[in-house]
Amino acid sequence: MKVWLLAAMAIALSGTAARAADPRYPDWPCTQAKVPEISLAAVWAGPPLDDVQNKWKDDARIGALVAKLSARKTPLEEAEKSVKEFLATSGSDKASNAKLLFAGLFDTLNAQRSQVMNGLERVSRKQREAADKIREETLQLQALQGATPRDEAKVEALSNELIWKTRIFEDRHKVVRFVCEVPTTIDQRLFALGRLIQQEME
Amino acid sequence: MNASCRHDVAAPPPPLAGEGRGEGVFTKKTPQEERALSRIASLDAMRPPPQAGEVKQASQQFQRIAEQRPLRKLTLRLSLFATLTLVAAPAHAFIAYVSNEKSNTVSVIDTDNWTVTKTIKVGQRPRGIEFTRDGKFVMVAVGDDDTIQVIDAKTQSVVDSLPSGPDPELFAQDAAGKILYVANENDNTVTVIDLEKRARLGDIQVGVEPEGMTISPDGKTLINTSETTNMAHFIDTSSRQIVANVLVDARPRFAEFKHDSSEVWVSSEIGGTVSIIDPRKHEVIGKVTFEIPGLRKEAIQPVGIGMTKDDRTAFVALGPANRIAVVDVASRKVTKYLLVGQRVWHMAFTPDEKYLLTTNGVSNDVSVIDVAAQKVIKTIQVGELPWGITIAP
Repeated sequence: MKVWLLAAMAIALSGTAARAADPRYPDWPCTQAKVPEISLAAVWAGPPLDDVQNKWKDDARIGALVAKLSARKTPLEEAEKSVKEFLATSGSDKASNAKLLFAGLFDTLNAQRSQVMNGLERVSRKQREAADKIREETLQLQALQGATPRDEAKVEALSNELIWKTRIFEDRHKVVRFVCEVPTTIDQRLFALGRLIQQEME
Repeated sequence: MNASCRHDVAAPPPPLAGEGRGEGVFTKKTPQEERALSRIASLDAMRPPPQAGEVKQASQQFQRIAEQRPLRKLTLRLSLFATLTLVAAPAHAFIAYVSNEKSNTVSVIDTDNWTVTKTIKVGQRPRGIEFTRDGKFVMVAVGDDDTIQVIDAKTQSVVDSLPSGPDPELFAQDAAGKILYVANENDNTVTVIDLEKRARLGDIQVGVEPEGMTISPDGKTLINTSETTNMAHFIDTSSRQIVANVLVDARPRFAEFKHDSSEVWVSSEIGGTVSIIDPRKHEVIGKVTFEIPGLRKEAIQPVGIGMTKDDRTAFVALGPANRIAVVDVASRKVTKYLLVGQRVWHMAFTPDEKYLLTTNGVSNDVSVIDVAAQKVIKTIQVGELPWGITIAP
């Protein structure tokens, strides 16, 4: 009985792990479409940033602010307040500081986003391997159970292992669904902060 | 995640879905009252006579106040006084309703202080939303519940539903506000509903997956766009027959008539264009194209269209390009792009046409554009995945 349940689960699980919506990204596990990078023009309609490049890294104050604003643990409301305060106290450097700050946020949040997406694809590959393993061991267990004489100790050990593996698989599956929301929340943060910086520049 | 923790600075937090009526509406001490009192001081003796719409607006506000705070007599009297003076003030206090597709709610926005004053729990997957012509009710298509719900604008609660087909997305009503045409995404039909009797009159078979829906200013022609046939279907409203099919670019989403009826503009989400159709000849006579340096062509997805009453300026929502294109109608050229919010979808003008409000699906907010200045002046946080918007006439 237990075995049949496990077998049915293993088959169902392998199905969910292998499904990919976009053929370009076979390891992408999310229902949300994969957009590998945020393009600058999608979030920025302000002055060109060509002259800024990596210069934001040279300014310790901006570097620290970028780190704080990019951290997901900083509530967006608080982040927005910090942006306003920073620009309000920038005096004649307001425009250049605004550009530096946004360049820093764009680089940092885009990198953070790529990291999350790579992680999701890595987990997705691991899940596929785990599903294959579960399927394989289910067949082994069935063979063990059909054998005469039946080795009860082995049957018990293998079915216990299968229960654990299935549980881990399921837990990871749930986590993946949750993490799939993260790239979007990063998009939202970058857009919201970028829009605010542009408004403050006007 | 951030939808719940982020609000406009001036905005009280929107009430949670399912909270009782009136709860959370006045988290600050009666903003109407404060607002109106501050206005009394600035009123001069030369105030213009009230417009019909303003009187209606004010009486609705009074009724809301009376219902929400029945016990606070002093406040009530003050509010009454304030509301009556509002009648004469040149106010732009309009009420906007926004459908939030993912949170299954409708946000109510007061355009006087640009805040969400109420969040109404509705059915599943609300999208198309429109006021009845008399301004008394708001209709909202709740696709996953296969119906159109009716919200009473006075009580701001769902009071009835209309018999649409399965998965209604968008609808259009005739000029008199008597007949409603509903695009049902799932069964390739347009349902015709008598709005007074709230009864189904019949169905019109159209192309696969009807999407956009608009009616000519004279009420004789209904235009329905279909994303699988890539056509705009012209339907004679008296015979309820398709009289012409006009091929446009891939995935047409929305159609809008010029107020003088000389052109129909149809947006194509995948094609990335707006086709301009001569509605008498049923021919495409021009196209509006869009180009934003640094953005991939496929990120430019035209959806909602709004046109000023003088037919001079059109506004086109460009989806994940996060921008509204300002188009000169005569030359059919884009004159300006305005960065609004993420995945901008639909829009509505205030009746005085001073402001244009857009729904931004991914950033979960509404942008307010100053129409004359062609500038974004405000952002209002609403529910998740805001889709449609309508403003009281």
